[in-house]
Amino acid sequence: MIELYHIWKQYQKPHWAISDISLEINTGDFCFITGPSGSGKTTLLRIIFREIFPTEGQILIDGVNVLKIPDNKIYKLRRLMGIVFQDFRLMFHQSVFANVAIPLQIIGLPDKEIRRRVFNSLRQVNLHHKMWEYPNRLSYGEQQRVAIARAIVNHPKILLADEPTGNLDPELAFEIMSIFKEINEQGATVIIGSHDRELIRHFGHKIFFLQKGKIIGQEVKP
Amino acid sequence: MIFRQLKYLLRAAGHNLWNFRGRNLISVLIISFSFLVIGVFLALSNNLTYLGQQLSNNLAISFFLKKDLPAKEVEEIKKTIMDSTLVDNVIYVSQEEALNRFAANFPELKEIVANLDSNPFPPSFEARLKDRSISPGAITAFIDHIKRQPGVIDVQFNQEWMQKMESLSRIVKAVGFFLGAILILASFFIISNVVRLNVFARKNEIEIQRLVGATNTFIRVPFLVEGFVLGLAGSLVSILILFLLIKIFPLYIGQALGAAEQLLALRPLTLEQMFWLIVGGSLTGTLGSVTSVSKFLRV
Repeated sequence: MIELYHIWKQYQKPHWAISDISLEINTGDFCFITGPSGSGKTTLLRIIFREIFPTEGQILIDGVNVLKIPDNKIYKLRRLMGIVFQDFRLMFHQSVFANVAIPLQIIGLPDKEIRRRVFNSLRQVNLHHKMWEYPNRLSYGEQQRVAIARAIVNHPKILLADEPTGNLDPELAFEIMSIFKEINEQGATVIIGSHDRELIRHFGHKIFFLQKGKIIGQEVKP
Repeated sequence: MIFRQLKYLLRAAGHNLWNFRGRNLISVLIISFSFLVIGVFLALSNNLTYLGQQLSNNLAISFFLKKDLPAKEVEEIKKTIMDSTLVDNVIYVSQEEALNRFAANFPELKEIVANLDSNPFPPSFEARLKDRSISPGAITAFIDHIKRQPGVIDVQFNQEWMQKMESLSRIVKAVGFFLGAILILASFFIISNVVRLNVFARKNEIEIQRLVGATNTFIRVPFLVEGFVLGLAGSLVSILILFLLIKIFPLYIGQALGAAEQLLALRPLTLEQMFWLIVGGSLTGTLGSVTSVSKFLRV
């Protein structure tokens, strides 16, 4: 379970990127955080995986206070997560394979298992035929799919995705969402920051509406 | 699992060394230049030390004896000289030999000596000292002691020359340590900055690794291996260039220096010096990496 209590974030005075957000996401939820550009979706996701600290507030993941985890132990939290970054964060001088394999190499899986899992992940995002290409030779949409493959390759307990379908055509976006749904059905909690109304309408189970850093509404579908 | 991770990390280090080969080559050249300067200084210092040793080996004290001294007394004086711990060996120079040496050294005066009724040269003992680390004070005390022996009429010893050499040697050593320390410090900063540039160029990669759950050690190891390899390669290249310099120096520059050639010649490094140069290079590369990577691990 992910619990956020009175989260405030200020990058620059006097503007608040996030103002007093409290929310609860249960294990196994498939939820969307939505809102216009600049509403604070990305900031909220970055706070959850502790890339940045909130100015005020507390976050608990499975009862553990995320903000109290020392820097040298934060890897334990991150290994539970798969993250699709808005800017993809790919290593451009390494192959697609190497980019997707990195979460598995970090935990020291055997080479054979790594190859199998990377291939499967790339096949899920329909990019297995470009396994040995370099990301800078791929289109924007393909780079996004590499980022998605990396996020799902280690079967995460929590999947965080920031605009994961922003550069994909509707058909592929739908496919990617189906993959996320599949991972969700296997027990993972999925949190997606998106403003794609069609996808949210179709897949959203729990939806948080953000505006100017505040939650202005919440919807839970049965 | 640890071996698998280690294998991956070493592979990653090799991959990065090759991928950034242009930048790494420049790093190696900068490192090798720094260590080359240290190496050249060491080679010069080796030469000065060698020259000093040669000079001190040639330092001899001559004790002139009365003519017609009984053999027993001559033996006693020799024994007294030999008893000193400072002395390496003693040679007896008879009157005839002294005359012969004079004739050989000054052939134009040969006739004047030949016309003399008797041999004017006294017999003498030439004592060679053990090594140049003996203090001038000890030598003076030794000379005074022998001078007091009956039968010894005079002593010849260029003490001033020896003292000058001693102080030159001290200055060379002091300058050596000073320059060495500055150069090593400078090399450390150069290497550290070169590695920092490498790390900075891969800031993104470090961030990504942190965000997908890599430990600090996992991120650090490839950089440490790279720093080590760059430092090692740099110091090895510097030794190679130094070797070539030592071979080429006498051919092209040596003669132009004239009399100073002997003083400014380069003498090859000892195995121990080469070992420490390599250790220094590798260590500086590794330490440069440690300090540089740590700054980017706070993601």
